[in-house]
Amino acid sequence: MAELDKITLDIIENALRNTRHEMDAVLFRSAMSPVIREQHDGFPMICDPQGRMVVGQFGSYIAGFIQQWKRGIAEGDVFLVSDPYSCRGAISHINDWMVLLPIFYDGELVGWGSQFGHTVDVGGPVSGSLPTDATTIFGEGMRIPPVKLFDRGELNADVLDLILTNTRVPVMNYFDLMAIVAACRTADKRVRELCDRFGKQTYLAACEALLDRTYRAMGALIEKNLPTEPVSFDDYVDDDGRGNGPFKMKLTIWREGNVGHFDWTGTDPQAPGPVNFLLNEEMFKMFIGVYLIMVFDPQILFNDGFYPLLKVKIPEGSLLQPRFPAALGCRTHALARLFDVLGGALGRQAPELSTAAGYGTSPYLLYNGYDEKGEFFHLMEITYGGIPGRPLGDGMDAHSWWPLFENIPTEYLESYYPITVLEYGSLPDSGGAGYHRGGNGVHKVYRFEVDGEIAVHDDRERSQPWGILGGLPGQSSSKLLGEPLPSKISQVPVRKGDMLIYRTAGGGGWRDPLDRPVEWVLKDVRNGLVSREKAERDYGVVIVEEDGKLVVDRERTEKERAQKKRERGEVQIFTFGPEPEPIGIVREWRRAQAPTQSGEPAHA
Amino acid sequence: MGYRLGIDVGGTFTDLLLFDEETGRMVLAKVPSTPADQSIGVLNGIQKVAALAGIDPVEIDLVLHGTTVATNAVLEEKGALVGLITTRGFEQILHVARSQTPGPLAGWIIMQKPDPLAPLHLTRGVSARMNARGEELVPLDEEEVRRFVRQLRDEGIQALTVSLINSFANPAHERRIRDIAQELCPDLPVTISTDILPEFREYERTLTTVMNSYVRPVMGRYLTGIESKLQRAHLAPTVNIVRSDGGVMSLDGARAKPVNTLLSGPSGGVVAASYIGELTGYKNVLSFDMGGTSTDVAISTGGEPRIVRETRIGYYPVKAAAVDVRSVGAGGGSIAHVPITGALRVGPQSAGAEPGPAAYGAGGMEPTVTDANVVLGHLPPRLLGGEMQLDVEAARRAVARIGDALGLSVEEAAQGIIDIVNENMFGALRLVSVQRGYDPRDFALVAFGGAGPLHANALAQLSGAWPAIIPPTPGVLSALGFLHSDIRSEFSQTVIRTLASIDAGEFARIFAALDERAREWLESEGIPAERQALDYQIDVRYHRQGYEFPVRVHPDQFESEEGMEKFIADFKGIHERNYGFNIDSLIEIVNLRVVGIGLVRKVELQRVASDGTRVEEAMVETHRAYFSGKAMETPIYDRDRLRPGHILRGPAVITQRDATTIILPEHYGQVDEYLNILIYPDGKGR
Repeated sequence: MAELDKITLDIIENALRNTRHEMDAVLFRSAMSPVIREQHDGFPMICDPQGRMVVGQFGSYIAGFIQQWKRGIAEGDVFLVSDPYSCRGAISHINDWMVLLPIFYDGELVGWGSQFGHTVDVGGPVSGSLPTDATTIFGEGMRIPPVKLFDRGELNADVLDLILTNTRVPVMNYFDLMAIVAACRTADKRVRELCDRFGKQTYLAACEALLDRTYRAMGALIEKNLPTEPVSFDDYVDDDGRGNGPFKMKLTIWREGNVGHFDWTGTDPQAPGPVNFLLNEEMFKMFIGVYLIMVFDPQILFNDGFYPLLKVKIPEGSLLQPRFPAALGCRTHALARLFDVLGGALGRQAPELSTAAGYGTSPYLLYNGYDEKGEFFHLMEITYGGIPGRPLGDGMDAHSWWPLFENIPTEYLESYYPITVLEYGSLPDSGGAGYHRGGNGVHKVYRFEVDGEIAVHDDRERSQPWGILGGLPGQSSSKLLGEPLPSKISQVPVRKGDMLIYRTAGGGGWRDPLDRPVEWVLKDVRNGLVSREKAERDYGVVIVEEDGKLVVDRERTEKERAQKKRERGEVQIFTFGPEPEPIGIVREWRRAQAPTQSGEPAHA
Repeated sequence: MGYRLGIDVGGTFTDLLLFDEETGRMVLAKVPSTPADQSIGVLNGIQKVAALAGIDPVEIDLVLHGTTVATNAVLEEKGALVGLITTRGFEQILHVARSQTPGPLAGWIIMQKPDPLAPLHLTRGVSARMNARGEELVPLDEEEVRRFVRQLRDEGIQALTVSLINSFANPAHERRIRDIAQELCPDLPVTISTDILPEFREYERTLTTVMNSYVRPVMGRYLTGIESKLQRAHLAPTVNIVRSDGGVMSLDGARAKPVNTLLSGPSGGVVAASYIGELTGYKNVLSFDMGGTSTDVAISTGGEPRIVRETRIGYYPVKAAAVDVRSVGAGGGSIAHVPITGALRVGPQSAGAEPGPAAYGAGGMEPTVTDANVVLGHLPPRLLGGEMQLDVEAARRAVARIGDALGLSVEEAAQGIIDIVNENMFGALRLVSVQRGYDPRDFALVAFGGAGPLHANALAQLSGAWPAIIPPTPGVLSALGFLHSDIRSEFSQTVIRTLASIDAGEFARIFAALDERAREWLESEGIPAERQALDYQIDVRYHRQGYEFPVRVHPDQFESEEGMEKFIADFKGIHERNYGFNIDSLIEIVNLRVVGIGLVRKVELQRVASDGTRVEEAMVETHRAYFSGKAMETPIYDRDRLRPGHILRGPAVITQRDATTIILPEHYGQVDEYLNILIYPDGKGR
């Protein structure tokens, strides 16, 4: 290993962190689709020559790509891939276009820049390419296996034409793709500058040392935070859009020495519909790592170095490891639920440091048709919901669980699309009560200004985000287009003037709501975030009107709280909503299993 | 011809710089700031600087005042109780904000979100609605407005904001609400969003307007205080307030739109840095202002500071024109520590003014950047004038703790702390240069602030920005910048249309309307015609892109093919520089803007003649200092004795009252006729 002092290491770490932010800035500012640009659905990464992530946030998938790519890698190449089955789930649905750019210095491979972003349409039968009733990936849209978008610096125009011909929004996708490439080129430039400045060998040694630093820190965290006896946690994805559900996701964790084991045995089989999530093992390890380290050294440049310390088992043919060609488009619900289950399993060890569950998915609204001028339009909007109650405070109302995402300004929507937003805020009372309450879900009312077609994608409609240590569950989601819509449905015709009431789930509460300071409850009521009824029912706080002002009736509140505590008894670690009734194929599975597993409680 | 006075109120000191319009003489004074009422310190300062200059304060006819009153009100949450009237259905607009939580994954776990600046219980949604084309969908319910205004008044609000969806396209409802509110409550300050920011994106517009209301009463009280104190002292200078974009505005302007003063202080430094750059023949400069707790960096090209349209104050993204300043939590007081991962981190925690670095001997124990500089001998133990003695042993003890944790000698640890903090500041420099498509090697670096000259040489080395320029008074540069500030105000109109769908006549019509408003304003400010100037800008982007760039234009440019082509080429040039690509797609206009400018007479720094002294005569003593791990006998110079033409060979330490400059080995400093020190690597220079 080349000479490397600690200070140089820290400097290189800093420079790489700056580069990561620069990649984001380049992408968000130059992309065209609101999903990437306004909402920030895109993720940057820089890897070492072997494809291990040195900086990024979703973990590396490049090692797998390198293993199976047989046609050589040269300076100036830029790779594009969108087919989950060609990269072992490194990207998990075909809307995500991932660009990989090998970085060369003096003719030698010194690393990789990579970025992926959600493109709004990649063909197939349904605008937006997320049909909620697909049964195979062939019914979703265009799959791009790994291809060279640039071959030794030369744009592969044939490939580009082929791809853009297969989308409904070629200009937008072209723009987004070039923005993703520009972000990767930023990584390329900066890494080569670091090699100029410190020497190639020092740079490579620094990557190695950064990986090692995370390895050592994680070893200590595993020993401290994982139980030696296995503990399990399970939760559900409501349904698969085809009338089957709920799908159980079950995780068991334990450690042997400083090696952590994460086993998904007990997870339901793959779904007939498109809610399967082809879970990449490396990416899952990264999720675990992020959860463990957030509290300890938030400044650390988090990377892949600790992968050998984690052993993961994902049963073949399950919801999380479906067999080709299972449909994958709506995998976002299982992806989000994975964090709830992981948080719950880790939370059994140290619940007071853990959080409740949040709105638990990434809800979308899609709307397409021809506007008043006869031009085709396609809108995709990501909405958010209630953030979980957490040790630091209340969950935020109608905020994004996903890092750095933003909402689309109403004035932007109304300037570019034939749609009017009549109401937009958070839904009072939808957050689960707690000492720190869960955030309220989103409440949004749209009016469609031309005939067209919509789709909605949501979850937590039949289940509820759970609370922790006495905190209560958040409220479920709902959609109303005159009459209730299911949480996952596409190709719903709408007429000019139709209104859609769109509500996402609230977050679960953290610790006992009967201990929440009465001033906080009063403030929420005065601010219209919690009703007087809920204040009394869930918090035991009696609020009355006095001279036109809302005040707390201290005496009745004290009585109310004491009585509620008596009636409730001891608090459990987790408080769940009612378990969803099995429907469709899942009902058949449960019937078949019933005799053998009758004694097992719903949430073991 | 009288005197012009620049005043910069900082956290600890109020700096004053007096300029004699006739002789060009400048006189400098520093007085302690009076945070409870900044105007007391200001008046003290005026008396002091006049006494130092030997003039009667009555002779001062123009005061240019940079103030942190508005900024402090926001950061300390001490603004007014603001009521908000918005569109029904959008009452939680400030609460939901842009829904963003910080990265990385799970960053929401540690997010701290402040309450809205206009409390939710003082927000009302009124029945009224425009669409994005400015057509009325729902008429305004005036009875409801009256009811809301009365309710909010009874709740005790001190300022009212009105911000409605799509008002950028048609402000009629907002204006009517303002009229009703003023009729019902003549004493209540009312701000409507289209007066502050007639541009689209409702959250940012509402936030910016509410922030204006939030700081308006505080600012109003402050300015009235200044006026009455001046009056009592029988002084009647024209007082102008420095804006975030480096311009100035009248007291009435500052009273109505104080949101434009949030970066009042930092903007002065940036303006001064670009002026110093021009004097020394470098029109492109990076300004580098390193203080005790943070470092501000910014960029000027072609002699003009780069202006952005959005800036961040704490949690809040405020849309108001401001110099493009980036701040990092790295300063002389930044604390070094080693977390469980075994990395060396410096900042963002700071020892602040109290207890301060260990070397100050005021009870500070934590190792800071200043302590590292003391250990390395970059800060000599006796600061010039003997006003302050540094405790070298205390600094060594503090830094040794870092050395122990890392297995390094105390000097190595000190060098490490310096290297890391330099890297952090370099990261900020890159954000304003490389990330905006500028190559720092095409720039000079102007360093100021108490700690800037200590780190300037190293920062120039990292960024390749040569020379590093140390102005003669690095500790009071902002006040110098104020003396150069023009009177400015902006007038804009959102017009979201593709370029192809607008003809030359329409451009001319909109610009003519904005033009008229700008000229009226300049007249009302009493600016004579020969000192009026107008600047025309169009915010432009590709169709449906999210962010737009301002492109400077001539209002009649669109009448000719060539003019249109030039406009497109200018936009593509900027796009290419920022993003590295262009595309064959529709171009879209977003805002048209006219900036009204009242030019001030420029300040001429005096040239100093060489007096035939040799540089050795400026040397006070030598002492041992460390550079890249090597101990070297290093001369210490007295800045006051440096004269034009002097060449200082590195390593060298140069001390003066308000700052210490370091020249590294293999570099040299050259003193110019304005007494700037220009630092170059050996073998380079002019």
